[in-house]
Amino acid sequence: MNFGLTDEQVMLRDTARALLAKECPPILVREHVDDPTVALPLWSQLKDFAALGDGPCTDLCLFVEETGYAAAPGPFFATTALFAPLLAAIDHELLSAVLAGDTTGTVAVAGADGHWMLNDELVKTFVPEADRVDWIAVVDASARVRVVPSADVSTRQTRTVDFSRRFFEVDTAAVAGAPAIELDPAAFANLTARAMAALAAEMVGTSRRLFDMALAYAKERIQFDVPIGSFQAIQHRLAECSLAVERATAAAQYAAMTLDANDDERFRAVHVAKAAAGNAATRSAKDSIQIHGGIGYTWEHDLHLYLRRAIGSEYWLGTTSWHHDRLADLLMPI
Amino acid sequence: MHLSWGPEEVAFREELCAFLDEHVPPEFERGYDYAGEGEGEDGTDIVPEWARQWQATLFDHGWMIPGYPPELGGRNCTLVQTLVYLEELASRRVIRSFHYPGYGIVAPSLLEFGNEEQKNLVPAAVRGDTIWCIGMSEPNAGSDLAGLQTRAVLDGDRFIVNGQKVWTSYASVAQKCFVYVRTDPDVPKHKGISLLIVDMDTPGIEVRPLRHLSRSAGFAEVFFTDVEVPVENLVGGLNDGWRITQGSLAHERAGLWVEGVCRLDATVQSLIGVAERCGRSRDAGVRRDIATFYEQASSLRALGHKGFSSFAQGSSAPEHSYMKMATSEIGKAASEYGMELQGAYGAVMDPERGEESGRWVNYFFLSFANTIAGGSSEIQRNIIAQRVLGLPRS
Repeated sequence: MNFGLTDEQVMLRDTARALLAKECPPILVREHVDDPTVALPLWSQLKDFAALGDGPCTDLCLFVEETGYAAAPGPFFATTALFAPLLAAIDHELLSAVLAGDTTGTVAVAGADGHWMLNDELVKTFVPEADRVDWIAVVDASARVRVVPSADVSTRQTRTVDFSRRFFEVDTAAVAGAPAIELDPAAFANLTARAMAALAAEMVGTSRRLFDMALAYAKERIQFDVPIGSFQAIQHRLAECSLAVERATAAAQYAAMTLDANDDERFRAVHVAKAAAGNAATRSAKDSIQIHGGIGYTWEHDLHLYLRRAIGSEYWLGTTSWHHDRLADLLMPI
Repeated sequence: MHLSWGPEEVAFREELCAFLDEHVPPEFERGYDYAGEGEGEDGTDIVPEWARQWQATLFDHGWMIPGYPPELGGRNCTLVQTLVYLEELASRRVIRSFHYPGYGIVAPSLLEFGNEEQKNLVPAAVRGDTIWCIGMSEPNAGSDLAGLQTRAVLDGDRFIVNGQKVWTSYASVAQKCFVYVRTDPDVPKHKGISLLIVDMDTPGIEVRPLRHLSRSAGFAEVFFTDVEVPVENLVGGLNDGWRITQGSLAHERAGLWVEGVCRLDATVQSLIGVAERCGRSRDAGVRRDIATFYEQASSLRALGHKGFSSFAQGSSAPEHSYMKMATSEIGKAASEYGMELQGAYGAVMDPERGEESGRWVNYFFLSFANTIAGGSSEIQRNIIAQRVLGLPRS
């Protein structure tokens, strides 16, 4: 196996990094709390990369690692990691417009329990960005898909800790009679795995942001006349934290590779990736706050913008414990 | 990024598998206890005869260190092929040699720093015909290796060595020793160290076996009293020994993590077996705990491969700094968990009572060495913080 990036992948990552550093500064994430429209100019840039939604999972993951680093708001993740792969799986006519960046969409699966699993409920939960995408793909208990205009359903936002990603309850009763397209349940399992792998990669980016902020602060903050990063207590905390981020990075990339290869290991690898990413995200969030000391838990400091994204992501598409439990079911079948 | 190996690696693996299928000693197939250390209670069978023959067979067929040339027991294979080799061996729970220092430390050090005569010692070190031990640690020089005090004084054409080494693995069976000595006490401690090759049968050397807390006797104390060492046994320059300790063992080091990860994988797989035998495999807490170990082991394997990929492309691989610390720490926790799964029988060492014959206690006890020897976890965290993360020294 080869984790090496091709020249094109290096360019993709560097382009994403530079673009997001410029177009998605902390102030944008902060203003997004009260005014979601501030993310519109960002989407006008990111839509040029919507074709990643139907390419190798490894490429998409490289890109969303950078959107996670910036805690980018907007429809990019829902459109490329959820909607486009689903359209591709059902051979839907909207796909080319989505990949061209001309239209956006999201996917509604979870029922009242919030788990991303097939169910016959009409009210779907934790549908990302449902009020600002053009289309919603509703998946029913038999994995039949109804792609409907978002204007045709009623939505209600479910507020979470995360200001940068917005979730909605979507009442799909009004579109229950819309034409449905059959989706093979095995294909649904692959799509779910792809979404989880992409979220794991995104969380790796957020974890790295939190870690980078802690590391920079440890080098510049002077106490007892020296940088606090010279103290072993701080050094060892950062060493352990960076281990968590590094192994989550590798696990997420490995999961993406197994998906691209349709390898038998892919479901285990995805559970490992999301759990490792959850561990890295929550750990780096807590460690970063601790290392920042008093300034770290103020509203003024930007740290909490990324901490919120990290925690919000941990609770979406399965918590760390949920993924451990599913992994156990694969390792130790009952 | 891609999952599969290239055709050259696939062909390489096929050739390797054909060799292994034919030559792997039955002792491995009968279930060599991979998680153990292969050390006898009395220290005499640390390197059993069948294991010596196995190492020589590997050497003679060019499979001992595949990246080396044929005359050194290899076949000039690529770095990536070396990884394929290490993984295949580990997946079969087969080890190359029961004594690591000769092929793992002495050979690459002599090839890089030794003179032509010293390089002639390499084939026997790799083939295992000569057993080596490494005289580094001392009672007062553990993590602070540069603080070593064993003295060597130049006296004409020889050094006179006095001092003590400890935690010296294989000293009781070794013919030769790499001894780090202080040759200049008046300069900063890193700058006064030299490396000597010492024959273990030289008068004045006394070896006292040191028992591990599990009672196995794999290592020893070595005492040097007026030991005379010819000046030509100096490796590298006088007072240049520290550079050798830090030297480029890169070829081996790039693959060292493989064994750590494979051991951890094997331990986690064994935990599933224990849970089943102890009737706890349906316990939700146990299932989650075991899955957590699996997640850690599996993500570390990915991290090792990721580091190897950048290393093979010629970049630095900071990933490898994490591997030793992480695999040893998680391995310790996993072996302790193997005891916990057995409930009241967790601490039982009676082969006729309990399901596991006390083997998890042994794993746990042996795991103590892994988080200490070769750079303790604390030292590893310092190294990560200072060399990888660029934090200032305290």
